[in-house]
Amino acid sequence: MNIDNKLDELRRIKQVDAPPFLYTRIMQQIENLAEIPVSIKWRWAYAASAILILALNLSILLNQNITDKNSSIESVVSGMQLTNTNLLYNE
Amino acid sequence: MIDGNSFEEIYSQHKNLVYNLCLNYVLNTEDAQDMTQEVFVKVHQRYQQFNPATASLKTWIYQIAINHCLDFLKSKKTSKRFGFITSLFHQDTNEPKDIAPVIQHPGIAAEDKEGLDRLLLIIYSLPENQKTAIILVKMEDRPQREVAEIMNISIKAVESLLQRAKQTIAKKIMETEGL
Repeated sequence: MNIDNKLDELRRIKQVDAPPFLYTRIMQQIENLAEIPVSIKWRWAYAASAILILALNLSILLNQNITDKNSSIESVVSGMQLTNTNLLYNE
Repeated sequence: MIDGNSFEEIYSQHKNLVYNLCLNYVLNTEDAQDMTQEVFVKVHQRYQQFNPATASLKTWIYQIAINHCLDFLKSKKTSKRFGFITSLFHQDTNEPKDIAPVIQHPGIAAEDKEGLDRLLLIIYSLPENQKTAIILVKMEDRPQREVAEIMNISIKAVESLLQRAKQTIAKKIMETEGL
């Protein structure tokens, strides 16, 4: 079998025209993808508010951790009826 | 970005080239239409990156279209594999797991369909580079020099790819014909 002759059969495939509606579809997709430009002023405003929110969250988290640490130790001590004295029995 | 009139001109000059190339890769009109659409959207978006000093507009569009078609075929293969895994968990759906595509190529005459479909399926199963070389040389009728430029490889490398592709095709034809 001659493979070149076999592959020459591919030349029988005719070139076809692209459907006429494709251009409208392409332009529609391009329009949909068109980015709405955001002004520099708004970009700075978004960045500043994001930083502010992050800073607020961080400060709340840090404060909560300090109070939580103290309160959690106290609650364990009282919950398990532990004493911080050297006496073995509560008399 | 490119202005509307220039884009329309580029589209009208290259629409059939891109559509037929996509058809030769994906082998059905519906996917070829989607591919053509996405290729031209990419052309529109990336026009600023086009450098006429490195390649002609036609070569650049060819490269975008080929890469897009190969990516599409890769994602199709992956989704089929994923579909197979999900079918293991939903065994009530007894749909046939056809790996080969259903060929719906408008450029093939009815009397040639049987023979050409078999040949196209073999080409479809070739490795990416061999497939591209065969499609460009044998189906698109591009000279090897141009194919080398499109594929960004040497003419020798194109010849080698064609040789390997021909060997694989011949082997597969013999297998299917039971020789």
